[in-house]
Formats: sequence, C-alpha cells, structure tokens
Amino acid sequence: MNKQSAKHQTYAFQGKTPMDAASNENAKTITLTIDDESISVPQGSNVLEAAKRLSIDISSFCYHPGLSIAAVCRQCLVSIEGVPKLQPSCQAICQEGMVVRTQDEQSMDARRQMLEFTLVNHPIDCPICDRAGDCTLQKMYFEHDYQLSKIDVPKVRKPKAKDIGKHIMLDAERCILCTRCIRVCDEVANEHQLTMINRGDKQELTTTETLDNPYSLNTVDVCPVGALTEKEFRFSMRSWELMMTPSVCSGCSTGCNIEIHHRNTEVYRIKPRYHKDINKHWMCDEGRSIHKQWYENRLTGPMREGIPVSWEDAMTHAGHCIKTVLDTDCDSIGVVFSPHHTNEANYLLYKLTQSWGVKKLFMGGAVAVPDRADDILMDQDVTPNRQGVISIVDAGLEDTQTLISQITLGTIKTLIVLGSELDVAPMITDSSCQIIVFSEYETDMVSNASVAFPISAWMETDGSVTNRDNHIQRIYSAMPSAGQSLSAWETLVRLSNETGHGLKYNDLRSVDACMRRHHNFPQHNWDNVNPRVQLRFEHSRG
Amino acid sequence: MDTVTQSEKTTVGRATVVTVKREPSQTTSFMMTLIRGMTVTMRHFFSNLFTKTQTETLEYPEEKIPYPERHRGLHRLMKRDDGRVRCVACMCCPTACPANCITIVPAETDDPSVEKYPAVFEIDELRCIVCGLCVEACPCDAIRMDTKLHAAPVEFRGDAIETKTSLLERGGLSHAIQAGKGSDWRESEQ
Ligand code: SF4
Ligand code: SF4
Ligand code: FES
Repeated sequence: MNKQSAKHQTYAFQGKTPMDAASNENAKTITLTIDDESISVPQGSNVLEAAKRLSIDISSFCYHPGLSIAAVCRQCLVSIEGVPKLQPSCQAICQEGMVVRTQDEQSMDARRQMLEFTLVNHPIDCPICDRAGDCTLQKMYFEHDYQLSKIDVPKVRKPKAKDIGKHIMLDAERCILCTRCIRVCDEVANEHQLTMINRGDKQELTTTETLDNPYSLNTVDVCPVGALTEKEFRFSMRSWELMMTPSVCSGCSTGCNIEIHHRNTEVYRIKPRYHKDINKHWMCDEGRSIHKQWYENRLTGPMREGIPVSWEDAMTHAGHCIKTVLDTDCDSIGVVFSPHHTNEANYLLYKLTQSWGVKKLFMGGAVAVPDRADDILMDQDVTPNRQGVISIVDAGLEDTQTLISQITLGTIKTLIVLGSELDVAPMITDSSCQIIVFSEYETDMVSNASVAFPISAWMETDGSVTNRDNHIQRIYSAMPSAGQSLSAWETLVRLSNETGHGLKYNDLRSVDACMRRHHNFPQHNWDNVNPRVQLRFEHSRG
Repeated sequence: MDTVTQSEKTTVGRATVVTVKREPSQTTSFMMTLIRGMTVTMRHFFSNLFTKTQTETLEYPEEKIPYPERHRGLHRLMKRDDGRVRCVACMCCPTACPANCITIVPAETDDPSVEKYPAVFEIDELRCIVCGLCVEACPCDAIRMDTKLHAAPVEFRGDAIETKTSLLERGGLSHAIQAGKGSDWRESEQ
C-alpha cells in the first residue's frame, strides 16, 4: 500500500460519506431554499443531496454518495445567491439561509455545455457498449443536450478493450475522467491500483498495478459510463432486458444486500444494493459469482439410494424410516441444521426435532475460510445464516467434529441433514448410518442417502436470514425452483405429516409469524410478494 | 331511381313501424338498363377474347406489379467493405420487435474496431409481422427489408427461420455513417 491510499484509509467505512452526512438524524438541521422551495437538512449535507430530497435532479458524474467528493466533472453547477461564480453543488455544503437556483438559465447553460464538453471525444459506441440502457451519460444526453456534435476534427483515440484486471476490461475512450473508480479502490478496497495519466484531452485512466483487489468490481458499478465493464457479463445480455430481484448475498455471514439481475430463469449478474449499516454501496467480487455454479449438478428429483423416485414414494419411505427409529431408539437420530438456509427452514426443522423428542442437534455448513477475512466486508465464516440457526436452536447445538466422532462411534444411526454443504459422506459409506437429506445439489451424500429430497437453492427461496450482526433480512425468490424441487419449508411440512407429527403451516407467512413469537424476530413485509422490477423502467441507475 | 313514393308511420307498442309504399314493378321498364349493361359486358368479353389490352388480371407469377419504393419484404443483413456483417449485436432490433421473432447471440470478435458481432442471428419469418420496426431501430444500417421478396412458403415451420447465412446471402454493401452526420458534416451542408 503506498502513501496515497493510506491517506484515504477506510474513508467509506468510517461513517464520513456524504450520504451519511445527509442522513444523519442527530445533527443540527439547517434550512435553505432551492428553486424557491425551502428545505431542512442535517448540517454538513451538500446541496446536491438536499436537492435530491426535493426531487430536483441536478445532473452529476463524479459525485457518489458513498465516496469522497472530488468535484472534477463540473456537471453539477448551480447558482448560489451572493456567490459570483457557479458552484459545484456536490461540493457546496448547505448553509443556513442559502438561496440556490438549479434551473436558471445560467446554470442550465453551464451544465449543457459541460455535457457537450464531456462528449467531445466520447466514441458514442452505444450499440456495442454494455452500459447502454443504464448509462448516466446517455440519460443525461437525452435530458440536457440532445443535439448533434459540433466537433469536426477527428476524435482523440485511446486504448479500447484493454484488459486491466482479473474481472475487468477498460475502454479508455469511453471514460469521462470522473475518478470515481480510483476513489473506490482507494477508499473501499484500500488499494491504490488505478490512476490518471497525462493532461487535457489526452488524460487517460490507467492501472498502477493490475486491478485485482477483492473489491474491484465495485469500480464497474460506480463508473457512470461503459468504460469499465465486467468480463463475465460483457456482451452476454442487454441490461434493459433484465429483471431485478432484491436479495442477500449467500457468500458469507456479512450478508451484503444484493440485486439479482436475471432474465427468465437465468441469472446474469449480481450487483450490490444499498444498506446503511451492512455493506453501504459495495460488495466483494467473490459474492458476485454466487450464481456461477447455479445450474450445475442440481438435484432435480427425489432419490432413494441414488435412484430417482416419485415424491410420494420418497416421502412414505422417509416417514416410515423415521417412525421406526423414533419408536425403537430415539437417541440414535442426529439432526443437522444448515446455516446456508433460511430461518424459516431451520425453524421448522427445529420444531420437528422438538415434537419428535430428538436431542442430538448439530450445526452443519461449510467450514470457515480464515484467509478471506478482512476488516472491510468479507468474513471468514462463509455461511450466510449461522447467527439465525444459533438464535433458533438456542441450546445443545454441537459442531461437525462431534457429529463425525459420534457417527464413527456408532451412537448415531440415522442422520437427517438440511443442506448440501456438510460433507461427511466418506465416513458414512462404511458405517451403517442411514441418511435422509434435503439438498439442492447432487453431492456424495445424496448418492449415499436412503432418501434425498430436492429443495430450492438460494435464489429460488423466499425467507429471511440473519447476518453476523443480527440483522434479519428478507430474501426473495428470483425464479421458480429447478425441476421437481420444492422449497425446504414445504418439504419439511410434508415430512412432518408423514411421521404423524403434523406441522400446520400453509405458507411462509404463518411459519414466520410463529417463529417471531418464539424468537423475537422482527416482522417482514410478506405482502410485498414480488418486489421485482424490470431494469428498463428503473431510470436512475449509474 | 327513386321508387319510394309514400311512406307512413304507425306505432305498435314501443316500436315504430314504417310502411314504405312503392310503385308496382310492372310499371317501370328495365329493358333499356339491361341492354346497356349487357353492352358493356359484351364489349369487354369480345375485346378480352381477341386482345389483352383491357385485362386487369395479371398472370402471376409470370407477371408482377412493380412494388413501391418503400415496400417491406424479406429481411437482409448488410455487409462492411471487408465482407463482414455490419450488425454489432446491439440488440435494438429484438427489443423493438413486437413479435419477438429475432434471436441474436452476441459474441466478441477479433476486430478491435467492432468488438461485438452476432454469432447467431435468426429471424422467424412466420412470426414476423412485417412492421419494419427492426429496420427503424437499427443504428448501424445492418438490417434492411428492401429486398421486395416475399417469404417463401415452407413445408415445416423450422424452414421459415432465416439464419445469418441466408440473411447475408441477400445482403449488400453499406457505407452508411454511424453516429450522426459524420465528421465532415459542415462541408457537406454548405
Ligand atoms: S473509468 Fe468510469 S469511473 Fe473511472 S474515471 Fe472513467 S468514467 Fe469515471
Ligand atoms: S439493430 Fe442492427 S446492429 Fe442492432 S442487432 Fe439489430 S441488426 Fe444488429
Ligand atoms: S458531480 Fe459535482 S463536480 Fe462532478
């Protein structure tokens, strides 16, 4: 890390962003007038944010609510009474009694001319640009400029399709030199990997080293144009064809809020969604690939001893197995909870174990990866809902090591497993343990299980998850479950009926209501069943 | 010829009945009209029998009416100077298409000035409603419907799908300037 980045260290995570200043409830409020309307804002907020509250859209490129203010694009000029020159509204801090005009001729003119200036050397290759459709420059051109270029000299050429990092391509011609990407690297990832070289119309973004920090793809999100594009998404789909479903990242216990961008049943990319306390505007690169192995190796139908069977058959068989064991030796049943599944699924499994009288409860899930932890977002615990399982099963939860030793000792003869992450199959093959598993993927355990039920994977699931700081957040299903699979809660309710300990739930809402009563979980808005939007109709991206 | 001489209205319940009285038909002579009509018929009959000057019917498909300049026929894809397809797979035409009949799979080319090209370009001519919106939408003058051809009848539905190869076979060169008027617009306007 060199000197320059040290200067900015973790700026974006110390609660000093312009967005925080503008939404700080505790600060003293001051009143100012913007376009003849008066508004009160917390002290320290800038004019741009204050205008946003009045739904006045001052155009801007270089300002990002989660980054420091650079004021290099001059696209946000407004006139302020008593100040002789136009001021960049992103940098102008609100003062008591300030009178701001955003729509007067002088500032409109200035903004139009700034835009024309920005477009002088822009290649305008929208047809092949991945950003077309959610590009700030495009949007602004239609709102402000809307005229042919007056330039009759050849445009300045810069490198196109330049590979600058593991995930990212740079098109330097499209860059409007806003420096947002540089600031993201400096302030969020704490690595100074991008910089500007040369001056004037030769000014160009370039890398100081390869852009390979674990937060590099945030640069693509903040880039207002298509200068930085994601290699994996590049040319695969037009953004206006995509639907957005809000969800939470399943990559680790931080629980970053995400947007799933998908079309029909295919996920094309994952983008971060703003959350004040958890991830702000950002997410890590790893989290953006949680959809990559989505379709591979899915378990699409119920199995018995590795042979596909019907749901009825699998249910009857599993019910019979469990009932027999319950009647003879209840203590030989072990139940494994999954921190990769929702609170609702784990809660139902817990209720089931209680009504069966099963005492041996284990925490499943993938093992921690200490290497990936940092103090920005990434956590070593790669399970999204460990905290949720802990708060549901408050006592007697044991770890995987104990489970393995108990299986080897032979004290556990029947194992009921939620989720596909637990990998104990190698020792199970030679022990006589029978397994009933609820799994999304075809794992070794599934082929060794007496019964395997296919359940919905993360992006097909509705429910709630609890992150490491006990934020309980709602996830939404972006698409129907693959093949014959059902959501975990539904499968569990069916199984409970089969074993004669019926859980009476018809929908997730009632599971949730019940869970809330027992575990003090906050209520979710279950009426909002489909908060999906088509990106085509969401104007203010970029 | 006005044969209505008299009419009267009576009211039956809520309905009004209009009784129209006409002259009895024997009193009018239809012979003259009949002869006039037959004359026209016979004139056309004999002139068509010996010459063909007055025939309105065309011997399609040997004879065809020339189509107007802006007729929309089968699609074609235009080419650049080097023979590559002009289309850059911007997806504007499938977005504009109200019949959803255009399928494009974009891919990356080795030509750095283009970057993106359609690896697959298919138009289902059975679904196409010949509205021409794809042509309007195209920013690259890559797709045109100026072939003045009809979609040929097919035996199987799949045969009606035009592939990139068949669309390019009909294609010609296009030198249209992309993105506005081009850099020498001031000279050309003077
Ligand atoms: S690449 Fe994008 S974010 Fe970076 S300076 Fe250029 S326009 Fe701004
Ligand atoms: S609109 Fe033109 S350039 Fe774009 S995909 Fe269609 S044919 Fe290709
Ligand atoms: S947004 Fe204010 S100067 Fe760029």
